[in-house]
Amino acid sequence: MGILSVILLTPAIGALVLALLPGRNPSVARGIGKLFTSIVFLLTCYLLISYDSHDAGMQFNEYFSINPKIGSSYALGVDGLSVPLVVLASLLTLLALLASAGITKNVKGYNIGILLSEFGMLGVFLAQDWSLFYIFWEITLIPIFFLIDRWGGERRQTASLNFVLYTMSGSVFMLVSLIAVFQYVPEQVSLMSAMTHVSENMPKNQQVWAFIGFLIGFGVKMPIFPLHGWLPLAHVEAPSPVSILLSGILIKMGAYGLLRVVVMLPTAAHTLQPLLVFLALFGIIYGGLLAWRQSDLKAMVAYSSISHMGIVLLGISTLNEAGLTGAVLQMSAHGLIAGGMFMVVGMLYERTHTRNIQDYSSLVQVMPRFAFFTTIILLAAMGIPGSIGAVAELHAMVGGFQQWGGLMVFFSMGILISTAYAIRTIGLLFTGPVKPQMKQIEDLRPPELLALSVLVGAIVLFGLLPASLVELSAATISQMNGLIRLRILEG
Amino acid sequence: MDNLVALIPLFPLIAAAVIGIGHLLGLLNGEASEKTTAAIASWAIKLSCLLALILLGADLLGKNTGSWALGQWLASGTLNIQVNFITTGFSVKLAALFCILLFIVIRFSINYMHKEAGFHRFFFILSLFAAAMMVLVLSDNAVGTFIGWEIAGFSSYLLIAYAYDRPVAASNATRVFVANRIGDAGFLLGIGFSYAWIHSLDWSQINTLSAQLSPRQASVIAFCFAIAAFAKSAQLPFSPWLARAAEGPTPSSAGFYGAVMVHSGVYLMLLLQPILERAPLIMILVAIVGLLTAVYGFFIGLTQTDVKSSLFFSTTSQLGLMFLECGLGFWQLASWHLCAHAIVRGYLVLTAPSLMHYIRGNPIKPFPTKIANLRWAYIASLQRLWMDQIADRILVRPVCRLARDLAYFDDHVVDRAMGIPIPALHTISSLAQLEKQKIDGKLKSQDEDFARGSGLIGNLAHRVTAALYWFEDRLVIRGIGKDMINYGRQLGHATNKVEQLLLQPGYLALFVAIILLVAL
Repeated sequence: MGILSVILLTPAIGALVLALLPGRNPSVARGIGKLFTSIVFLLTCYLLISYDSHDAGMQFNEYFSINPKIGSSYALGVDGLSVPLVVLASLLTLLALLASAGITKNVKGYNIGILLSEFGMLGVFLAQDWSLFYIFWEITLIPIFFLIDRWGGERRQTASLNFVLYTMSGSVFMLVSLIAVFQYVPEQVSLMSAMTHVSENMPKNQQVWAFIGFLIGFGVKMPIFPLHGWLPLAHVEAPSPVSILLSGILIKMGAYGLLRVVVMLPTAAHTLQPLLVFLALFGIIYGGLLAWRQSDLKAMVAYSSISHMGIVLLGISTLNEAGLTGAVLQMSAHGLIAGGMFMVVGMLYERTHTRNIQDYSSLVQVMPRFAFFTTIILLAAMGIPGSIGAVAELHAMVGGFQQWGGLMVFFSMGILISTAYAIRTIGLLFTGPVKPQMKQIEDLRPPELLALSVLVGAIVLFGLLPASLVELSAATISQMNGLIRLRILEG
Repeated sequence: MDNLVALIPLFPLIAAAVIGIGHLLGLLNGEASEKTTAAIASWAIKLSCLLALILLGADLLGKNTGSWALGQWLASGTLNIQVNFITTGFSVKLAALFCILLFIVIRFSINYMHKEAGFHRFFFILSLFAAAMMVLVLSDNAVGTFIGWEIAGFSSYLLIAYAYDRPVAASNATRVFVANRIGDAGFLLGIGFSYAWIHSLDWSQINTLSAQLSPRQASVIAFCFAIAAFAKSAQLPFSPWLARAAEGPTPSSAGFYGAVMVHSGVYLMLLLQPILERAPLIMILVAIVGLLTAVYGFFIGLTQTDVKSSLFFSTTSQLGLMFLECGLGFWQLASWHLCAHAIVRGYLVLTAPSLMHYIRGNPIKPFPTKIANLRWAYIASLQRLWMDQIADRILVRPVCRLARDLAYFDDHVVDRAMGIPIPALHTISSLAQLEKQKIDGKLKSQDEDFARGSGLIGNLAHRVTAALYWFEDRLVIRGIGKDMINYGRQLGHATNKVEQLLLQPGYLALFVAIILLVAL
C-alpha cells in the first residue's frame, strides 16, 4: 500500500474509530478527530517533501483494477496540480477542527462528518481514474449535507437541501459528459491518462457539448456565475468550520476538475474561450459588487469567494502558461485566504452572536491580536503585494493580457471593488467609537492563535517567497500547456 | 265492482296527506290532537279494509274482470303507462290480508305510541306506508308496483330513523335504505328490459308475452327482478339490513319487517311466476339463495339473545324457505306460506314487548351440547358471518375512496381550471408558515442602504449593485433555489398521489383493464 492510499484511508479509519467508539464524551471525540487530521497533515507534509517537483508526470502511482469490464480502476497519483491541493485540504481540515470549539452539540457526529468529508475531498484530488473521481465527488456531498443540516444556522434545512440539489444536478451533466467522452477511449478504460488522448478521435462538436456538460458540473461547485445559487445560502448557514472546508477546499474541486478537463478537451476549451472569459470577468465583478453590498460578514465572504474563483476561471480561460499558473496559484491562495476569513468571522460570531458588520466597532482595543490577523487576511483578500493573493492575481493578469489584452480592465475593476469592501470591513470592525456591548470580548485563545498564525504565516510566506510554490506546479503546468498548445494547433 | 280497487290505496293516502298537512300547519300537534290523528289513520285503514274485503268477495263470486284501468298516466312514443290495478287472484287476497294486518298494527300503535314525541309523524308515515303497500300489491303494471315499492322503502327509512337524534338509528336507516337501493336498481333494469323486449309494462302482458321471449331474455328479466326481490326480502347477500331495521319502534317493525313489507319480494316472485318458469337457471339461483338464507337465518338466530333480533332472524330464514319453495316451483305452497307467516310473524312481533312477561318461569330449551361446544361456530354466529364487514370492505370503502379521489380531482383540477379561488391556497395555515414568512421578511429588509457610495462612480456602483442584487435575490436565490425545492416538493406530492391511486386495487384493475383493451 502506497503513501497515497494511507493518506486517503486515514480519515476514513478515523471516522470508523469514532463511530465504533462507545460513549459520547465530547473531548474524546475532539481529541480523536484532531489526532487523525494531524496524522493526515503530517503524511501530506511527508508527501510534499518526497515529491519531485521536476517530474511533470504522475508520481506515487497506485493501480488496482476494480471492474475490468467497464474499465474502472482504483488508480491514485499526484502531480503538480494536485499536490498543493492535497496539502491544503489536510491543512484546512485540521485548522477547521482547531476552530470547532464552538460546536457543542453532538460533537462525535460532527467529527465523523468532518473526517468523512476530508476522506471524500482527498479522494477527489488523488484519484487518477474518472470513475473513482466521480465516486469521491459524490461522497463529499453526504457528510457536508449533514454538517450543514445538523449544525447550521436558522435556514439550515433549506441551505443543505439547496446545496445537494444544485450539486447533484450538476454532477448529472458531468456524468453524461464523462460517458460521452468514454465512448471514444480506445482502451475502454476510465483512467485520466488514457482519456487525455481522447480528443484525437472525438468529433469536434461532440467535444464542445461534452465540455459544456463538464462546465456545468464543475461550474456549480466552483461556482461560476449563473450556477452559484447554493453558495451564499450554504456558506452563510453552515457552521464556520464547515464554511472553511466548503470555501477552502470543496469549491476547489470544481476548479481542479475543470483544469483536468481543459487538458482532456483542449479543442473545445479553445472554442469556448470567449464564453469562459466572459463568465470569469462577469463573475469577478458580480461577486465583488454583491460582497460590497452585504452587511452580513459571512455573506460578504461568500460572495467574495465567487469573485475570487472568477480569477481561477480567468486563468483557465487564457489557455497559456502564465494564466494556468495563475489559476493554480489562486486556488491555493483562495483556499488560505477564504479559510482564514471564515475562521475569523466564525470566531467573531462565537463571541458576539452577531454577524452584522454595523454592530461592531473599535475591536482593536479589546482584541488586538485578532485585529492584527484579520487585517492581514483582508488585505491579502484584496491582493496587496506581499501576500499570496497578489502573486496569483499577477500571474492571472499577465496571462490575461497575453490572451485578451484590454479586456483586463474589467479584472482591474474587480480588484478595485474587492479593495473597497476589504478596506471598509477593516474600518468598520476596528475603528470608530467604542460601543458598550463590544467592550467585553475575549481575544484569541491559544488554539485559535495557532490556527490563524499558520494560515497567516502561509499567506505572507508564499507572498514574499512565491518561488517554492510556483516551482511545485511549474513542471506539470508547462507540460499541460504544451499538450493544450499542440492540440489547438492540430485542431 | 272492479272500480273499488282504486279507492283502497287512496284512503290511507288521503289520511297521510291530512295528517301530514295538519301536522305541518300545527293543527295536529301534541297530546291533545292524538285522538284526531289516530281516528283519521284508523278510519282510513278501516275503510280500505272494508273495500278490500268487498273486492275479495266480488272476486270469489267471480264478478271481477281481472283488471281495471283508471286512465293513462304517461305516454311518450310507444311508451304508454296506464294507472291500472289487478282485481282478481292472489293479489286481491294478499291486499285484503295486508289491509287487515295493517289495521291491527295501526290500532295497536294508537296505545303503544301514546305520549310519544313523534306520534303524528309516526301515523303519517304508517298511513303513507299502507297506501304504498296497497299500490305495490294491487298495481297491474311494473311502474305502479315500483312506485309503491319505493314509497314503502322510503317510509321504512323514515321509521327506522324515527329516533333521528340517535346516531345509531340514523346510520342504520341510511344503511338499510342504501342496501334496498341496490335492489331498486335491479327493479329498474327489469322494467327497462321488459319494455325493450316485450314493449309493455303491464304485469299481465309481461307474463303472457314472456312465452315469446328467448330463454336468455327471460333469464335476464327474471334475474333483474329476482335481485330486487332478494334485496327487499332480505335474502343473501342483503340479509344484514333486516337486523339493522330493528331500530324502529316495535309496531312499525311488526308492520314492515314482520308482517307486510318483507313479503313483497316473495310477492314479486309469485307475480312473475310465468316468466320465472321460462328461466330455469334463475329458478335454481332463487332456490339456492333461499336455502342459504334459511340456513343463515337459522344459524345466526341461534345466538341471538334479545327478542327482536331472534324474531328477525327467524323471519329471514322463513323468507328464505319461501324463496326456496318458489325456486323449486311450489308456488301454491309459497303463497300459503307467505300468508300464514305474515299473520304469525305480525302477531309475534307485536307481542314481543310483553313476551318477557309470558315466558317467565318457562326457560329456553338448552342446546344440544354437540353444537353448543363449537366455538368457531359460536363466534361466527355472533359476528353474523361478518357480512357487514365484508360489505364494508367490498363496497363501502372503495366507494368512499373513489369519492375522496374525485373530491381531490374536483378541488385540485376542476376548480383550478375553472378559476374558482381556493381561499386556503395562499393564506398562512400553520404557525410554521408564519415563522417562515417572518424569517423571509427579516432577510428581505436587511439593511437596504448599507452599501452606499458617493460621487459619480460611487452612485453608479450603487445602482449597478442594486440591480445585480435584485437579480441575485429574485432569480438565483428565490427563483432557482427556493422554487426548485418547492416544485420538487409539489412534484413529489403529485407522484405520491399517483402512486397511492395505483396501489388501490380498484384503480390497478382499471389500469390493467385499459392496458388489456389497448393491447387487444
